[in-house]
Amino acid sequence: MNPVLRRARPLLGTLVEMRVEGLREADARAALTQAFAEVGRVHALMSFHAPDSDLSRVHAAHAGAEIEVDARTHEVLTIARLVADLTGGAFDVAVGAALVNAGALPRPRSPFTPDPAARAGDIELLAGNRVRLRRPLWIDVGGIAKGYAVDRAVELLQVRGATQICVNAGGDLRCFGPRAEGVHLRAGDGALPSRPTLELRDAAIATSATQAAGVHRHGATQAEVAPGLCASVAAARCVIADALTKVVLASDARTSARALAHFGAQAARHDPRSGWIRLENAA
Amino acid sequence: MHARWLTAAGALASAAAPAAYATQYMSVEEAQQEAFAQAQFEELAPPDAATAAALDAPVGWAPRVFTARSGGALRGWLIVDQVVGKSERITYALALDAQGAVSLLEVLDYRESHGGEVRLAPWRKQFVGKTVADPVALGKDIRNISGATLSCRHLTEGVQRLLKLYDASLKTKHPSSP
Repeated sequence: MNPVLRRARPLLGTLVEMRVEGLREADARAALTQAFAEVGRVHALMSFHAPDSDLSRVHAAHAGAEIEVDARTHEVLTIARLVADLTGGAFDVAVGAALVNAGALPRPRSPFTPDPAARAGDIELLAGNRVRLRRPLWIDVGGIAKGYAVDRAVELLQVRGATQICVNAGGDLRCFGPRAEGVHLRAGDGALPSRPTLELRDAAIATSATQAAGVHRHGATQAEVAPGLCASVAAARCVIADALTKVVLASDARTSARALAHFGAQAARHDPRSGWIRLENAA
Repeated sequence: MHARWLTAAGALASAAAPAAYATQYMSVEEAQQEAFAQAQFEELAPPDAATAAALDAPVGWAPRVFTARSGGALRGWLIVDQVVGKSERITYALALDAQGAVSLLEVLDYRESHGGEVRLAPWRKQFVGKTVADPVALGKDIRNISGATLSCRHLTEGVQRLLKLYDASLKTKHPSSP
């Protein structure tokens, strides 16, 4: 009988855990090694900090220049623009300058000063995986890349023939396979519930919390999102679940419901007073 | 996609919390084989107090250091160490090749406790008698947790300390070339 193999490595600023079933042990080990390497690759491509990442190369060029990026970076930016469009800019990866000003990110090497009015819509996504900034801005995909890395790992393990898979990057998780998996939702530093909160099959869930005051803002209105809130979103892909947690935290109920319905996603919110509350989606 | 909430819409029950949660991913022996297949391993004496002080190590710091050799030639080192955060304790293995470059970093054991203490354990005995068939291990206690991101800052600091240990002590005591 093929073993269940679980591995965990520190990546993406958190612990990334992977579990596979249905492969011979040697094949499972090789597949996991490859999947961890892919997560590391996504991180290296989309890091705000690393000087040789795709984003750093975009920031180091003059605004208006066409920069070729990896297909994966291009895909993440494409998804980010779609979510921004669907949410009136509540989720906006042009948030880099605001996070630098808030002290949450270091100042990148860049020849330009970002335009405070620049938005994700100013990131032009051109053929041949090229990117051009219509207005000067710094891109931070911290709100979406972790989910994307989870998707890449799961898809790679699927291709390698694993029959049941779960990849969890610090709470952004996706599972694949015929068996439903129980998931325990945890808010903030809170204790772990003793029973699963929901079950997933071939689905992803992501959870995000607002931490320090002043860091989390609505992408378009710049209204501050209070600290101590938490949102979980279940969706088919982890990249979508990851992005939509930020939408649920920052948006009004109507905007959230519309975005959730668009992706067939489900959500719950947590605050210290009410605990977990499931959100209605418009579907 | 299938997602089913295990409570009705509206408030989700928040049940009582278990005291602790633990997962074992790998044994020391499995990490050794993953890093240096077919090698012979020899455990060195743990770093002395002066070394620990020079590296600003926390109380109780006692990494297990193994050399990996094949046919007498040094292939590298495998170091097993433990770090403690606010509510979690992580045992991990760091493999360095003969030139001191990181070749593998794997979490062996993760343990968390909310409300209880997660102290640096006298853990040299921790893996004695532990096999993959141990109840805490594979498949028996699978918990998928989605929640606020775990910080691995302590683990990163632990790795930095081991790299300094290599520079300060392993490199010179066990040169890769005579």
